[in-house]
Amino acid sequence: VKRLAVLALLAGLVAGCGSRDPRTEVDVQRFFGECGAAYGRQTDLSKAEGECGIVTTLLNRFGAENRDVRVDVNIVAWPGYPQLSAQMAAGDPPDLVTMHQSVIADYQSRGLLEPMDAILAQAGVRPEDFTPAGRRGVTKDGRLYGLPWDTVGGLFHVNTRLFAEAGLMQGSKPVLPRSADELLAHARQFKARTGRPYLIQSQVNDPATHVRNLYSYLLAQDAVFFEDRKHIRLRTPEARRIVALFRALNAEGLSTTDQDNPAAIASFMNGQGGVFPTGTWMIGSFDESARTPGRPLYRSYAVFPYPRLFGRPAAFVDGHAWVMPKRERSPEQLRAIARLLGFVARHNLDWSRTGHLPAFQSVVESEAFRALPHRADIAPLAVFGAPLPDYVQRQAPIEGMVGEELAAAVSGQKPIDRALADAERRVNELLAQTG
Amino acid sequence: MSAAARPGLSPVAWLLVGVGAAIMVAPLLWTLALSLKSNSELMRDTASAFGGPYTLENYRAILQGSVLRWLLNSFIVSLGTTLGVLVLCSLAGYAFARLEFPGRRALFVVVLLGLAIPEQAVILPRHQLFADLGLHNSYAGLILPGLTGSFGVFFMTQYFRAIPRDLDEAAMLDGASRFTVFRKVLLPLTLPAQATLGVFTFLGSWNDYWWPLISATRSERFTLTIGLASAQMNYAQTSGLGFLMAQAVFASIPILIVYVIFQKQIVQAMAGTASR
Repeated sequence: VKRLAVLALLAGLVAGCGSRDPRTEVDVQRFFGECGAAYGRQTDLSKAEGECGIVTTLLNRFGAENRDVRVDVNIVAWPGYPQLSAQMAAGDPPDLVTMHQSVIADYQSRGLLEPMDAILAQAGVRPEDFTPAGRRGVTKDGRLYGLPWDTVGGLFHVNTRLFAEAGLMQGSKPVLPRSADELLAHARQFKARTGRPYLIQSQVNDPATHVRNLYSYLLAQDAVFFEDRKHIRLRTPEARRIVALFRALNAEGLSTTDQDNPAAIASFMNGQGGVFPTGTWMIGSFDESARTPGRPLYRSYAVFPYPRLFGRPAAFVDGHAWVMPKRERSPEQLRAIARLLGFVARHNLDWSRTGHLPAFQSVVESEAFRALPHRADIAPLAVFGAPLPDYVQRQAPIEGMVGEELAAAVSGQKPIDRALADAERRVNELLAQTG
Repeated sequence: MSAAARPGLSPVAWLLVGVGAAIMVAPLLWTLALSLKSNSELMRDTASAFGGPYTLENYRAILQGSVLRWLLNSFIVSLGTTLGVLVLCSLAGYAFARLEFPGRRALFVVVLLGLAIPEQAVILPRHQLFADLGLHNSYAGLILPGLTGSFGVFFMTQYFRAIPRDLDEAAMLDGASRFTVFRKVLLPLTLPAQATLGVFTFLGSWNDYWWPLISATRSERFTLTIGLASAQMNYAQTSGLGFLMAQAVFASIPILIVYVIFQKQIVQAMAGTASR
């Protein structure tokens, strides 16, 4: 009996080995959270909502349409870079990874990412079809290191009811300022007529708020603030002008000063201020509030790119991309990855329902995209939005440092010149350590 | 001292204790209240947590994910680490306290130096070592680093030293081997210390985030802390606050159970009276 049991066990093991999954396996690693409960089996993209819902459904749909490919999805804790770095150090990175375009330089400069020109061509994706912002975001040293998926940037979310109360509407459109002086004048008029601050800003524990303002309006003035890959230059008249403007808005009580991001969101949704400068990702939530009777934002919401206060229209943007870490792959896997990339690219419109701008010009110009709420108003961001130069590494910690110093400057805790000098020194010390 | 004989607290002391307790409990109750509200409602106003309607939707969402797998992983890793630490630290503590061998003092100093080295200082070489050994994304990879606890060795050494040597000598006169003395005479006397060390090791392992984050990079090996973090949307603190708080409550339940069971040992250890 024992021998029979052993034989049966061995036979089972052999049978188990024989039934190995014949499909080509592609390891995909992404952030955006886990929502298997709601979308685990969903393949109908029209029924998916939000970043997590849409990306989950998209990958499900690819699996359903490509039965010969097994997409193994690994969802990592936001933002996933410690894990990715660890996987690379251990020699076991995934095949495809979601990555912020601002982070690509950190990995690309160390030779950890594959150039993707060839595989994108195989996927039928042409770089000429990318939006200018998308293309700039994934191009490093003249080569493509990712499939751009979207453009993410700051927008002016406007409460039109309060704007009307303040006399700042022209027909159905809010009147946005065209210079720094006009911004101050509008803000003073707004406060005088509504009793509320013109700007709702997330200024507590949110360095990105200050950095978006600074970078966007430096780009608008054509200021070269990253002279080379090792130096930032912030002690300039252009930077001082921007910081002085936001300091004045705070000093005159024309902006909220003591709110973090959740508080600022709640404040805007409850109609406690005129403009909330925050990202593309909030459009869905604010629009839903604007469509719900009884809510303070009901029929009172519009959204636009940052107004042109200095020089030319410009905005600092980032975006998400799909990148390929360097590793060995079989020809079958490369073909499967190309198919997946092509599939993701063809569904860029679905992804743009998240609020992020498409990475493909044809989608930006499409009727379907422009029919989505507010998208026609924000579409220019995909054209004039610009990332930092492709050689700038460590953009996330730089944002933290610059944001801290700017917060101190606009709140009056530090003189503007000292804050800019401190930011410059700290960033340059960091960049001196990069390879 | 019995409860009856304990001198009563003055009203002022009661007031201070009450205020202190309220300060401690308020954030926990706030977390619980937020976890029972819908995300969209909290995005508009967190003060809505003071009143209904309440919902279990956030907890339902947690349970429909891979959370039971992550819970099991956390139990395996925490129990494995705790058992390993107790065995190794007891043996090492006994050796340092009772055995004479060349280099004993120097070795003990080396162990004590381990207390001064933060995990971050060794995490890169350790990660590389585990990668070379193919231990990432395995239970062994998650358990082994936790076994090298200098504190546990020091703690058990001090405890063994406090036990009179007369007991060893009496047992050896009766013919007991050194290992028998360790196992049957001394080890039972260290149970209070082992309980304290075990509870703290379990809690530390359960709450560990940094090492599992970079060692367990595949969902099937995520511990609860990593799994719950991976389930969060990018803007969890704004658009998913209720879910985030429900995760916090859910993750703390097992720890709460451990605390209730081992309350006496934990309080003793905190009070610095974890002696015989």
